Amino acid sequence: MIFAAAGYAYPNAKVRALRSKRLTAQDHHFLLEAKDFSSFLAYLVTTTYGLALPNIEEEKTDPGALERRLARSLMEDYAKVARSLRGKREQELVLALFSRFESENLKVLLRAMFSGRGKQAVAHLLYPLGKLSALPWDDLWACSNPAEIADFLIRNPFGQALQHAIPQYNVQGRLFLLEMALDLSCFQRLKQAISGLRSRSDRKAAKRILGPYVDVLNILWVIRLKIHYKLSHEEIVNYSLPGGELLTLSHLHRLARAEDVSSFLEQMPRSLQKEVGEVCDWNNFHTYLETWLLRLIARLFMGPPFHIGIEIAFLMEKEMELTSLITLLEAKAQGLSPDKTVKKLPMQFFGVTYV
Amino acid sequence: MFRPVKLTRLTIQAPEDRISAVMAVLGDLRLLHLIRVEETHLGRLGYVAHIDTSLLEHYDSLLARANKLLRDLGPTGPSSDIRKVHQPDKAVFRLEEDIAHIETEALEPLERKKKAKNAISEHEALIARLQLLEPAEIDLDRLHDLRYVTWRAGLIPEENLNKLEQSLVDTHHTLIPVGRKKQRVVLLAMSLKEDKEVLLRALKSAFWDPLELPPRIHGTIKKALDRLSSELEHLKTEFAGLDTEGAELTRKYGTKLKYLREEILLARQLLKAQTEFGQIDHTYLLTGWIPVALFEELKKRILKATSGNVLVDQVDPKDIKEVRSGILKIPILFNNPMLIRPFERLTTLYGTPSYEELEPTVFLAVSFLLLFGMMFGDMGHGAILCGIGYYVFRKMYRYIDYGIILMECGVSSMIFGLLYGSIFGLEDLVPALWMHPMEEINLFMVMSAFFGVGVISLGLILNLLNVIRQHRYGELLSTSGLAGALLYWLGVGLVARYLLSGELSPFELMCAMVAAGALIILMILQRPVSAVLAQRRIGKKGGRIPPGLGGTILESFIEVFDDLLRYLTNTVSFVRVAAFALTHAGLFIAVFSLADMVRGVHGGGLLYWVTLIIGNVFIIALEGMVVSIQTIRLEYYEFFSKFFRGGGKPFQPLIEEE
Repeated sequence: MIFAAAGYAYPNAKVRALRSKRLTAQDHHFLLEAKDFSSFLAYLVTTTYGLALPNIEEEKTDPGALERRLARSLMEDYAKVARSLRGKREQELVLALFSRFESENLKVLLRAMFSGRGKQAVAHLLYPLGKLSALPWDDLWACSNPAEIADFLIRNPFGQALQHAIPQYNVQGRLFLLEMALDLSCFQRLKQAISGLRSRSDRKAAKRILGPYVDVLNILWVIRLKIHYKLSHEEIVNYSLPGGELLTLSHLHRLARAEDVSSFLEQMPRSLQKEVGEVCDWNNFHTYLETWLLRLIARLFMGPPFHIGIEIAFLMEKEMELTSLITLLEAKAQGLSPDKTVKKLPMQFFGVTYV
Repeated sequence: MFRPVKLTRLTIQAPEDRISAVMAVLGDLRLLHLIRVEETHLGRLGYVAHIDTSLLEHYDSLLARANKLLRDLGPTGPSSDIRKVHQPDKAVFRLEEDIAHIETEALEPLERKKKAKNAISEHEALIARLQLLEPAEIDLDRLHDLRYVTWRAGLIPEENLNKLEQSLVDTHHTLIPVGRKKQRVVLLAMSLKEDKEVLLRALKSAFWDPLELPPRIHGTIKKALDRLSSELEHLKTEFAGLDTEGAELTRKYGTKLKYLREEILLARQLLKAQTEFGQIDHTYLLTGWIPVALFEELKKRILKATSGNVLVDQVDPKDIKEVRSGILKIPILFNNPMLIRPFERLTTLYGTPSYEELEPTVFLAVSFLLLFGMMFGDMGHGAILCGIGYYVFRKMYRYIDYGIILMECGVSSMIFGLLYGSIFGLEDLVPALWMHPMEEINLFMVMSAFFGVGVISLGLILNLLNVIRQHRYGELLSTSGLAGALLYWLGVGLVARYLLSGELSPFELMCAMVAAGALIILMILQRPVSAVLAQRRIGKKGGRIPPGLGGTILESFIEVFDDLLRYLTNTVSFVRVAAFALTHAGLFIAVFSLADMVRGVHGGGLLYWVTLIIGNVFIIALEGMVVSIQTIRLEYYEFFSKFFRGGGKPFQPLIEEE
């Protein structure tokens, strides 16, 4: 306990300081009620996200281009949290979580390569990863095919995953497989990073957040792959993410076979059923699940503080804040009313108090 | 050596049927810097560039064929130089014939060799695939004969096995792990034929890497492997025979091919140079710069090659209006001996000298070596630098210039090492012919400053020469001209007198102050007076005094003050020479102290020498780099800034290495 307190005193203080900069209930209110896109931006400039925004009076503000710019603050927080941690294994967990953004940029790179576009053309879609990313981006952008990228990243889990996926990519010629391989490799790395943590309390705390997070993603992926991509259940199971807490492969298989929302709900574990019991539309699952996740995160902040869960919870919370902000930004850009916008956001965003 | 090669402007007018012969002679001589005719006044007369594209394409295809043959035959060693350049339009027929002949002889055996190599690769890959399945002891014939069951062999990532199993839970199937390879499982997957699509979908989504087995493979894996291994041996024997045949072809045609390739490259360059020519009807015109000494030989050879049907003229650069007015620049062809030539890189890094000014490379080289030696004086380290330089010189053709510079720096270090009596920092092995820097720090600093005075004075003298050569007499009264130089030398003389005698007489001081005052007034007035004279010459309306004269005087005053201050700082800057020489000696002391500290521990004898060696390597790498940077800095900022204007154009010979 004493060792844990000594080890986490500084990171926790850092996280608490960073957490104090999150959007307040007042910010949520004014952002939601902003009468149009420019008023929304005018208010956003006064928050911590203002630093990442361009000079809105001088530059043309395109919502699409703003989304990634807003992520700058999150990327900086990742770097700060990683720096504050002393142990290599704890840092590896943060880096594994961060690798999801690297994976997103790699996907953009692959899509640009596939469509014959240069970096400049897709620059607005890239996360501003900063120095925390150790991938050789300049070399990667100079590559001309996925096999070359895999060779460049051969010592990285991304490289191995790509190499495993390239035989099927060569047969099918679809980027989807490479993208799935990148995603799966991130979560495989995350799973290994959790089990690689030295302290039991660290492992337990990390699982408390990341296990449900993976479950949420798996549910949303099942819905997406099933409804939008029309994939078969055997494919959906194979594309599921590792490291979930409540959902087993068997659950996922049954969910993939469910015909409608009600049978889908029936196949979910009881504890999850309680959280999403009121859902009656495929599109509403994410709001309920994110709300549940935010509640778990908030609960973690109330318990004993000396474990890695605090840092992970903070990063997840910040990421979800960013996701909500982007949803809000898109809604404002489309001119949606606050009433319609609210339905797309987790409940914390519009007044349900944090636990 | 102090001037670039003297050039003359050459003009050749040739009928269309003779241009190829002219090009061949030019290609032989090489030292011609072409001027694009279209960009001269002749362009306005209707001369336009024309290039024989079909001939160039023919050469391109010949080059591609020659490159392919060279790639396949793989001869090693450098290419031989072209003895004589032939007319590109005629030579193409011979080159075509020669390449075609080699192709007839070589392509078929090379193709057979390639096929044999591919067959070996295919066999090896197939054997590797089958070896993965070997532990399963499968009889492929029996698998092929299955009527209701479909099967696939392949690899999937380990972490996907459970998911694959789960994804097929509703289907009759079996997954048999056979082995492992690099975090992947070798798997034999089976299902009912009616579920084949489900199985394939599941496998594909589990990142399945199929092990393709051709239909000709049958029987047990072991037997198939034995059969393939014996086939592989047979193929290897066949390949060895073809390899010998290939080596014979390489021996027979390698040198010739390389020569042909050089010829093709040369002819292509000559053809491409045609873009600089001008053509009107059936007459070609080409013009460029050529060393004066080569003109007569070139003229003689061109007239001989064209039976006198070509006009070859030369024009003195002074008689060319564009040159006089500065529109056209005469290119610079350096003319330095071999040991100085590598320093041309350092000169051109700063700027290309103009044709009219003194070529500074020789001064740069001498002062560079002196400064480097002073700062890095040690016989041992000098010898190592010399050795590294020699290695680069012999083994790294691309960096031959740097090899020579390193060797010269090494020799300079050794000479100064002898003067300082230092070998690898040991100062008691040989007596110092001059002094030990650490023992006479003040004297060394003063010597460095005076060395700086010498370098700056040289820069000032070179500037005076440039001013006179370029008739910029007005600048003689400026701070960088004679007035500035006299004032600088006056100051240096006073300091030297004070250091030698310990005091200055009132008379000397009075004379110096009067002279300095007069020179400063001259320097301050130089610009305003020039402005007034220019105004008078132009005879503009509005009086004889140009507007803003007061401002000009004030500016001139500040500039003079700034320039004089710069003389002082430039001189003091040379004290760094002593500082770095002392740093060099100081680092030795640190390394020896460290070595002495570790000598006392267990195994200290070895550690002592290891510390000394690592320390010396560290000093050579770090100090060598720092001293080089400082030397270049002194050269550029303290020396070149005094006289070197640059802005010239480098000479581009007609044929450059491709």
